[in-house]
Amino acid sequence: MSCIDVDRVSKSFGERVAINQLSLHIERSERLVLFGPSGCGKTTVLRLLAGLEVPEQGSIRIDDRVVASAGKSLVPPERRDLGMVFQDLALWPHMTVQQNLMFGLNARRVQKREADIRVREMLQRVGLEHRIDAKPHQLSGGEQQRVALARALVSRPSILLMDEPLSSLDEERKRAIASDLLGLQSQFGFTLIYVTHDRSEAGMLASRVCQLRDGRVTDATK
Amino acid sequence: MGRPVKAETIVLWLCVALVAIAGLAPIAAIAIESFRHNGHFSLNYYRELISAARFWPLLGNSVRLALATTAVCGLIGVPAGILFAKSDLRLRSGFMWLLTVPFVLPPYFVALGWARVVARIGQSASDLLFGFDGCVLVLSSVFLPIILLLTFASSSNVDRRLEEAARLVSGWPGVLRRVTLPLSAPGIVFSLVLVFLLAMGELSVPSFLRYPVLPVLSFTQFTASYNFGAATAAAVPLAFIAFVGVFVESAFLRDRDYRFESTGQTLFISLRHWKNPWAVLMTAVCFALVILPLAALFGDAFSPAAMHQAMQRAGASVVRSVMYSAVAATILMALGFLLGHAMRGGQQRILNFLTLALFAIPGTVLSIGLVRLWNTPSTWFIYATPALLILGYTAQYCAVTTRLSLAGLMLIPVSLDEAGRLSGAMWARRLFRISIPLSARTLVCAWLAAYILCLRDVPIALMTAPPGADPLSARILTLMANGAPPMIASLCLIMAIASLIPLAILARVIPSRGMAR
Repeated sequence: MSCIDVDRVSKSFGERVAINQLSLHIERSERLVLFGPSGCGKTTVLRLLAGLEVPEQGSIRIDDRVVASAGKSLVPPERRDLGMVFQDLALWPHMTVQQNLMFGLNARRVQKREADIRVREMLQRVGLEHRIDAKPHQLSGGEQQRVALARALVSRPSILLMDEPLSSLDEERKRAIASDLLGLQSQFGFTLIYVTHDRSEAGMLASRVCQLRDGRVTDATK
Repeated sequence: MGRPVKAETIVLWLCVALVAIAGLAPIAAIAIESFRHNGHFSLNYYRELISAARFWPLLGNSVRLALATTAVCGLIGVPAGILFAKSDLRLRSGFMWLLTVPFVLPPYFVALGWARVVARIGQSASDLLFGFDGCVLVLSSVFLPIILLLTFASSSNVDRRLEEAARLVSGWPGVLRRVTLPLSAPGIVFSLVLVFLLAMGELSVPSFLRYPVLPVLSFTQFTASYNFGAATAAAVPLAFIAFVGVFVESAFLRDRDYRFESTGQTLFISLRHWKNPWAVLMTAVCFALVILPLAALFGDAFSPAAMHQAMQRAGASVVRSVMYSAVAATILMALGFLLGHAMRGGQQRILNFLTLALFAIPGTVLSIGLVRLWNTPSTWFIYATPALLILGYTAQYCAVTTRLSLAGLMLIPVSLDEAGRLSGAMWARRLFRISIPLSARTLVCAWLAAYILCLRDVPIALMTAPPGADPLSARILTLMANGAPPMIASLCLIMAIASLIPLAILARVIPSRGMAR
């Protein structure tokens, strides 16, 4: 599993500075929660780690590889060995649950037999094996969250990024999914980086909480 | 070792190269040609053009015609578009599609219809039709749908919540004036500029109604005198005006590109006791602008003898028209989708400007450039084949499919593509497995719109089709000189059917908007 080093990274969107000289070290298999108010740059940090944005200054290192450095993306997102659960979940509406999970395995040329087994195992793990042929709009909100989580993990990434995925759920469902997530993390050992503005979610999931304000880490607690 | 070039970049540059070859190179060829005389740099053609007694009156006529057409279209199209988008008017969808019919037919069809109408009335009506007034009437019915549809689309897209917020403090007139219209202004201004430029470059209607304008001069210099230099010099002001028009439109739209979260529904005004009077008024407008001229045109088209003669004289042109338009529409759909994809990725401004300028440039100007560029012994395989025609269609109409594709792609959350990237999929896989399946409806709309535009096109068909292989819109125009009126009417009817079938499909494919009280 990976460790991550973010070294004095800055990122602006036009006049607005989203991240300002941010440095962060994340240990292997750690569960880091980035916590802070809206607009403090949490999502930008995740997108920089994923490679969906490029830092203007500073560098990002995953294990021994520099994946991005001052204005350049050196490793594209698809080669960073990470999964992400988006805030809007981003489930492909024209594909079934199975096809949503298969997509990444096919792209990585996993053998069909092996891919089938992995998809079924993962769906079983999140309790959705009976919904394998459903399309996203046929699922409840909680089921969609689980599919998004299963899709992010089915390729067995070493890092999982989660961008406020539980924000639209009620407290009971939040707790159920958070408990699933902790189980999956202890089973697969991935490094979890989780973004939220909800203190209770942070408490449920974190082994360490970093508070962000105005694009900088202002506080870190274990 | 350098970084590998991405497939995405290669495909984008191939698309840009196609647009450059089809559209920019011919315009450049015209510009260069107009400055050359006997192999040397010269301003002779321009001196001759500017000093010619007819140039300034012709330019004045073109501008006057374009301004009057834009004013009439704006005065009818903007209120009608708002009315169709925001009110509970009876049969609004039927009125809208009926008013769209003249735009999907070659422009001279409406002129021909009116000629039949005035022939039954008498000389005084004929005097009115053949000239400025007639041109304004005909071009207004032809271009009205542009303003109508774009006003409809822009005002329908205004976030319902913004209007609801205004509705709490103001009546409907205030909401429309202070919120709906300013937020729809980019679409409305764009449509007005477009109508002005299209009316400026229109060839077939002014030449049929004998109103002298600049595109007719350029066309006759090219076809009758075969004087390339003079034709290109006359074409350059038209190209220049088109570029300036698009530039002004782009400058106006800067910082006014409002994007709204779609709520899926549009707020609407209850007309109450005005419902029937408005419906009667719209029926009268539809009757005057569409039903009367087209009924007169198609009145004697149904006789079996005329139909038989029409198929004998132009049957092959019908097949060619459908074939050329289908091929061009397929290329335009693919090109527009790929360019739309690139524009969504941020390379918007320059591509938008270039494609739009090519759309606004008169077909006569583009065609002269295409002939000038490809009429060489080494490029006969393009010049002497339908490839030249297809290139012309591609350059002229790629703005339409690009904008349609971009609008469709904007509705797909970016995160769906990003999720594909993080799943390890490369660009091509994401394109074929995510973007294209999610854009199926957009692609069908783009194909149908491109097909209709190519089918109805006159100047490019007239000037770039290989000898003996002209499409129907050009064939009818040439047969009009000596063909029997019933046969011409039958040909027009066949052409209309070929255009209206895709329009009917388009009306079914475009989703109807939900209304909320």
